[in-house]
Amino acid sequence: MLSDLRFALRTLAKTPGFTAAAVIVLALGIGANSAVFSLVNALLFDPPAYTKPAEIVQLFSQDKKNPKNYRSFSYPTYRDIREKNSVFTDVVAHNLSIVGLGEKDHARRAFVDLVSSNYFPVLGVSPIQGRGFLPAEEKPGANINVAVASYSSWKKHGLDPAFIGSTVTINGRLFTVIGITPAGFTGTMQLFSPEFWLPLGVYDQVVNASLTDHQALASRTGGDLMLIGRLKPGLTAAAAQPAIATLAANLEQAFPVEQKDQTFITAPLSRLSSSDTPQDEDGGIATLGTLLLGMAAVVLLVACLNLANMLLARGTARRKEIAIRLALGGGRSRIIRQLVTEGFVLAVMGGAVGLVLSLWATDLLVASLLKLMPFDLVMPSGVSPIVLTATFVFCLLGTLVFALGPALKLSRANVLTDLKEHAGEDTVRRRWKWLPRHPLVVVQIALSLALLTAAALFIRGANKAANVDVGLDIKRTWLIEIDASLAGQNPTRARDLYRGLNERLAALPGVESASISSLVPFGMMSQSKRISRAGLYPADDAKPATAAEGLAYFAGWNSVGADYFKTVGLPLLRGRAFTVAEATQAGAPPVAIIDEALARQLWPEGDALGQHLQYASNKAPTAKSNGSGGGINMSSDSDSGEIKAGESIEVVGIVPSVRRKLFEKEPGNNIYLPFSRGYQSDTHFLVRFATAPADAMATADLLRRTVRDFDPTLPVLNVKSFTQHLDSNIEIWLVRAGAALFSVFGGLALGLAVVGIYGVKAYAVARRTREIGIRMALGAQPSAVLRMILREAALMLVCGLILGLILAVATGQLVSSLLYRVSATDPVAFTVAPAVLAAAAFLACWIPARRATRINPLKALRTE
Amino acid sequence: MSGQSLIKLEGVTKVFLTDEVETHALSGIHMDIRQGEYVAIAGPSGCGKSTLLSILGLLDSPTDGTYVLNSRPVQGLSLPERARIRNREIGFIFQSFNLIGDLTVFENVELPLTYRGMPAAERKAAALEALEKVGMGHRAKHLPSQLSGGQQQRVAVARALAGKPAVLLADEPTGNLDSKNGDSVMQLLADLHKGGATIVMVTHDTRFARHADRTIHIFDGRVVQEQVEQA
Repeated sequence: MLSDLRFALRTLAKTPGFTAAAVIVLALGIGANSAVFSLVNALLFDPPAYTKPAEIVQLFSQDKKNPKNYRSFSYPTYRDIREKNSVFTDVVAHNLSIVGLGEKDHARRAFVDLVSSNYFPVLGVSPIQGRGFLPAEEKPGANINVAVASYSSWKKHGLDPAFIGSTVTINGRLFTVIGITPAGFTGTMQLFSPEFWLPLGVYDQVVNASLTDHQALASRTGGDLMLIGRLKPGLTAAAAQPAIATLAANLEQAFPVEQKDQTFITAPLSRLSSSDTPQDEDGGIATLGTLLLGMAAVVLLVACLNLANMLLARGTARRKEIAIRLALGGGRSRIIRQLVTEGFVLAVMGGAVGLVLSLWATDLLVASLLKLMPFDLVMPSGVSPIVLTATFVFCLLGTLVFALGPALKLSRANVLTDLKEHAGEDTVRRRWKWLPRHPLVVVQIALSLALLTAAALFIRGANKAANVDVGLDIKRTWLIEIDASLAGQNPTRARDLYRGLNERLAALPGVESASISSLVPFGMMSQSKRISRAGLYPADDAKPATAAEGLAYFAGWNSVGADYFKTVGLPLLRGRAFTVAEATQAGAPPVAIIDEALARQLWPEGDALGQHLQYASNKAPTAKSNGSGGGINMSSDSDSGEIKAGESIEVVGIVPSVRRKLFEKEPGNNIYLPFSRGYQSDTHFLVRFATAPADAMATADLLRRTVRDFDPTLPVLNVKSFTQHLDSNIEIWLVRAGAALFSVFGGLALGLAVVGIYGVKAYAVARRTREIGIRMALGAQPSAVLRMILREAALMLVCGLILGLILAVATGQLVSSLLYRVSATDPVAFTVAPAVLAAAAFLACWIPARRATRINPLKALRTE
Repeated sequence: MSGQSLIKLEGVTKVFLTDEVETHALSGIHMDIRQGEYVAIAGPSGCGKSTLLSILGLLDSPTDGTYVLNSRPVQGLSLPERARIRNREIGFIFQSFNLIGDLTVFENVELPLTYRGMPAAERKAAALEALEKVGMGHRAKHLPSQLSGGQQQRVAVARALAGKPAVLLADEPTGNLDSKNGDSVMQLLADLHKGGATIVMVTHDTRFARHADRTIHIFDGRVVQEQVEQA
């Protein structure tokens, strides 16, 4: 075996060109697989950083009468569960929250996790420096401002030993860093890590301070806590369920109002989200992971086929050497072993380069994501043993695919013939001459076309997404995102500041109008509400079928200033905009502007203008939503403004429907409230210029300076044009990332196919030099030789394209659910992809064919 | 039996340049071959006889001198034009047969006719006729690898004959054959000559040269002797 290895290395060293080409081809194939495996492993398989994850479950509060409804827990309920349960060794409460993290002279959004004091012990994680939380720090209202930092936060501070004991500004308040979590610990989710953990005792000042309708953490009627329990050793979730249900029944008995109809269930902790409802997205991620692995496997297969062809071609030239070995008594198995060893050496070399490529690709992906996410993305750094093992497996599999076939074929040599015949020539007629000479290349072309067409479908989707018609005229509009609560401003003070800032912005030279808006279309946050006609309260068991019977409809919610519609270029179809008084004065009569879609649904038979609607109760039967898309939807039934459920709101205007999110099937429904009736501390100022500003930097500076001059304490989170805002949308990023990913895979496959076609044709021409020489000696014109080579290539290409189109249709169906407004058989994609592949393949064939026409017959006939 | 001049060389030289070294393969060759003649070009290895045959067969060009084939000067023709003339006026018979391994005997023979653009039916008839003439009609569907050396050379002769060329150029046609098969091929060429074919054969074996009407002896790239065989 060692001698095989030595001989393999010597043989490969003798042909550096071939070796380099083979290593590059394999590196691309194996590297793609290692990168995807690394990502999928982190998403799906990597064990969490907390101890004994099998014992960890999440507890959910489920409505017994409407089992699809879940809610989070109040702190008192958490305490009851923690103290009275018999199945958990302990229970943790936590709630993820977005905060403003002070950095030098500005603030940025960051995720923190507010946790009970037992959080770290229950998860079995000890801070690597400092300490976790004390029970006293958990008590509601304790307001002991301490924080445990993530390792990556510490890393951002240069791993400064003095980080412990230093202070960080969170929502305008100073917090002392008391501990640092171990590297790789991401809390209860995989990959996505909070930057800081805070004790529940600061909940009211961190989370509730910015809300107008908050309930104190200590209140039994409120609460947004999620509970995680560690089952007692040996106890399964199923075995624990009866005891948990009994505990829920006892609590319902003890607190018949607060716990009415609530039971408890457990489910495995979601790896990728934190929700009060059991999540199924791991299944979605598994599908995506399978798809990614599938794509990567196809790239590896294309690479292997490529290499198999290269080895076959090279092996043909080695027929004589192999025949000599056989003639000298070398057994067939011995020859196979040697050829496979050569393949394995190539695979390992390709795998090593591929691994480096995969690390680089993963870093690139993470860096790209971090630009958009307000949380840390913690990918395992370096090469983990499992990724290394997987890469080794890819090398082994690759070797079997690309080396074994050629080894078996070449070792079946006819010793006598091969010793006598001209090196590398066909002396046996192919059985089906009308079939392409190189079936492996046909398969390569087919697989490449499938990936390339998928890439084209995704690119088409990305283009459509990038040019999506939001329904607004926003070319001249800029956005400033501000959150006064991050500077510790209470809602009353913040309202005054916002009103004044709006006036200041509107007065800027060159500004046509300015308006406040709590949310913006295509933003990271969105809100929706159930809306029904005013005064209708269907009974609990009623099943209304129409709005007139009390059926509620989901609608995207926004609270805006008086000039909002003018500022975003949304014309009023009927009625009027909000008055300044309505937009700024809390005591103004409740009014709303709705869009055409909601108007049609609520009053299909008449005009919605002048009618009254209401926020429906959370139990109101609701029509099916048209899909909320991505982003963070803060859809809730809680009263988020000064308007309560059931309060009658007059419709004073109708506007066209606009798209709030990329993945909405249809634009709408939308409801707009005056900002005074829907205050949010994290809000946006929209500024519409008379002419589109030419200098983006100068405009951003002007807007920042204006805010700073108005009130230097106001934290500006973002300043950008609306166009830039759309470009940085996470959903558009996802579509673009999909397009980029498929383009990379498609490009790789195309590149490999072209290299494969070129290699095979070039080798075929070289191998057939003598034959071509004979043909030319017999009078074949150069054009006839060119036609002969191209005809054979065309047959190969046509077969590959036909097979590829079939595969492409199947691939299109497979990814159809991930495509953005593109049919799985989009004619443009199905035209462009084959055309690109055919053109590239033709060029790859034309070069060796052209070379064939320049063969000197005299020299060719001397070739032995 | 000999007719008008078919091949006329005047002062043909061929110089090969390799690594700044000039090798004079042919030096001032004058030659006149008439239609229906059977000429042997003989000489020791490396004397330039194969180079001469390559120039006669338009596979190579002379460095100097003129070459008139069938009353037409051909030394300065373009590659496609030379290919056309090779296809129509010259039939090659190589020492190593040079049959294409994955074409059948029939396909090998019809190949030059294909390049001529001859219709399929005519091609078939001509190829079969040539195969019959060399006694290989019954092997039309075989592959070259299924034939003996002598049979392969017969097929090569049939391929050369099929297009009814003006001249057959044979380069050591017996070089790869045993004496029995060699004699048989020589007899075949003699029969073809009797049938009117013009043949130019390169050989280093004086036994076979005797089959020709005339033997041109070459040494160091020059014609040193011309010997007419007595009938």
